[in-house]
Amino acid sequence: MRQEISRRSFLRNSVLSTAGMMLGSNLLGCSSRAKPGSSSDSLIHIMEEVRKYRKINSHAHIGLSVGGPEDQIDFADRLGIDWSVISRPVTTMDSSPGLFRKYNDRILDAVEQFPDRFIGQMTVDPTYQEEALEEMDRCVDRGMVGLKLYKQVKINDPLVYPIIEKCIDLNMIILMHSGPDVTRIGPEYGTLDPPSLSIPEDFVEIAERYPEGMFQFAHLGGGLDWEYACKALKDSPNVYVDISGSNNEQNIINFAVEQLGEDRVLYGGDLNPYTGVGSMFSADLNERQREKIFFENYNNILKKGGYHVD
Amino acid sequence: MVIMLIDMNAYVGHWPFRKLNYNTCESLLGRMNQFGVDLSVISNLNGIFYQNPQSANEELYETLQSDKSFEDRFIPFAVMNPIYAGWKNDFQVCSEKMDMKGIRLYPRYHNYEITNPSCIELVKSARDRNMPVALSLRMSDSRATSWMDLERGSEWSLRDLIPLIKEVPDARYLILNIVGNPFLDEEETELLKKTNLVMDTSGRGLRRFAELLERYGRDKFAFGTHSPILDYVTGALRIESLRDSEADNKTKNLLRDGNAKRILNI
Repeated sequence: MRQEISRRSFLRNSVLSTAGMMLGSNLLGCSSRAKPGSSSDSLIHIMEEVRKYRKINSHAHIGLSVGGPEDQIDFADRLGIDWSVISRPVTTMDSSPGLFRKYNDRILDAVEQFPDRFIGQMTVDPTYQEEALEEMDRCVDRGMVGLKLYKQVKINDPLVYPIIEKCIDLNMIILMHSGPDVTRIGPEYGTLDPPSLSIPEDFVEIAERYPEGMFQFAHLGGGLDWEYACKALKDSPNVYVDISGSNNEQNIINFAVEQLGEDRVLYGGDLNPYTGVGSMFSADLNERQREKIFFENYNNILKKGGYHVD
Repeated sequence: MVIMLIDMNAYVGHWPFRKLNYNTCESLLGRMNQFGVDLSVISNLNGIFYQNPQSANEELYETLQSDKSFEDRFIPFAVMNPIYAGWKNDFQVCSEKMDMKGIRLYPRYHNYEITNPSCIELVKSARDRNMPVALSLRMSDSRATSWMDLERGSEWSLRDLIPLIKEVPDARYLILNIVGNPFLDEEETELLKKTNLVMDTSGRGLRRFAELLERYGRDKFAFGTHSPILDYVTGALRIESLRDSEADNKTKNLLRDGNAKRILNI
């Protein structure tokens, strides 16, 4: 029986009429946005679609659990990623100025190696406020754009205020880590991450305090409750979300667009090159939305400070 | 030669902790048409959560019977729980009456060890009927899911399936949603290479897919989505973005449908 249905064209001709009638009916569990037959054979030919779009990977790293610059470029070439915003945050709690300077140097070296593919993003630990501000000056002088923060200090901690103000002066976005722990609501609350992890409500507070600031809520696919995060961030227009992470649940991008609008969602990969790109083609997006999320939204952020790539 | 796409890892049904889209036979079929997927191996997610999973198999069977296109496009696998009363009879009904083509096991959700004697007996029964046995290394990301789901850290990695494969080495296996470290030691790698199995391409553990293809062999992987929980495209992207030096077209065709046909015996 199965072997008889070997021609996809036959399947389309025979089934699409049914599917066409069916699609659009929420009663049958379908999305009204789906376009039956709009991308015939698209999975076998998905790379043609992938290559059609310019891309800025808004969340990329060098030297975490992934490899070095060549590894990042290898995946970027494979998946048609034009630019990657790379950083090397200090991911341990026992940070030091020496450590974040060292990591920034690695990023500077990588950008020097691939100047047409990488945008270097600086990192600091705001615990060392004075050294952090000095380091930002050094990094900006050497061409870095944007700031990556991890979980040593919450985004709304007063220690971060002068750092945010410097970013506002420079028209640069702050990419702040968030994580799963506080969004797995229930008895296990707070067992994985430190209390200094930034949660969505912290972003809401700081975005309200600094309405001229630009904040990037990290990796909706990073193992956090993405529905919770999007709902919390809905009314914070200066908070963007990136879709990176290993948890490529089906509805993340569409839920983010519904809640936040298509201008506040950024394509990203983090440590997982396939999931970010795959999710973008799985989501019910039109071409214009894909162009924005893949490239334009982040380029517009860069444009505010004159750092845009196109 | 007509190339098909066979999705080795799809579901219909509900997930208790998050609303899913494309989780009915109608909407999954629409998805398949949109993306050019010819056939999908499906099970009913409800079978993971019903205490008596046979009710979920009956639901799926009735739905598939309701529309000829469902019967043509879906390859149903039964959800079995070998520690629940009546499983032997259920297995027989699924195999003979419902024409289920394989079985899916959820030891973590159904709370038994993979080497439980009843589990071994069920896998041997499936082997004897030429039915593949599907095991998913995880269903959802334990970091992001509800506190009512499985505990954090309870996900499997590839290595955790080795005891079952050693017990029943001549069964056919689908290993789905590969997470954790997919690189096994030499002895375990050899065991996997000798076993008639495929791993689907939906899982995040396949970051180094080209390397894994080389390591385990081009007969060991097949396209899969883990839909509707995970996105529909990433599993295919891992295949289609392979460079010519990593996989020629013949190899890609094995991943698209060839290995699936072999393991499903179609």
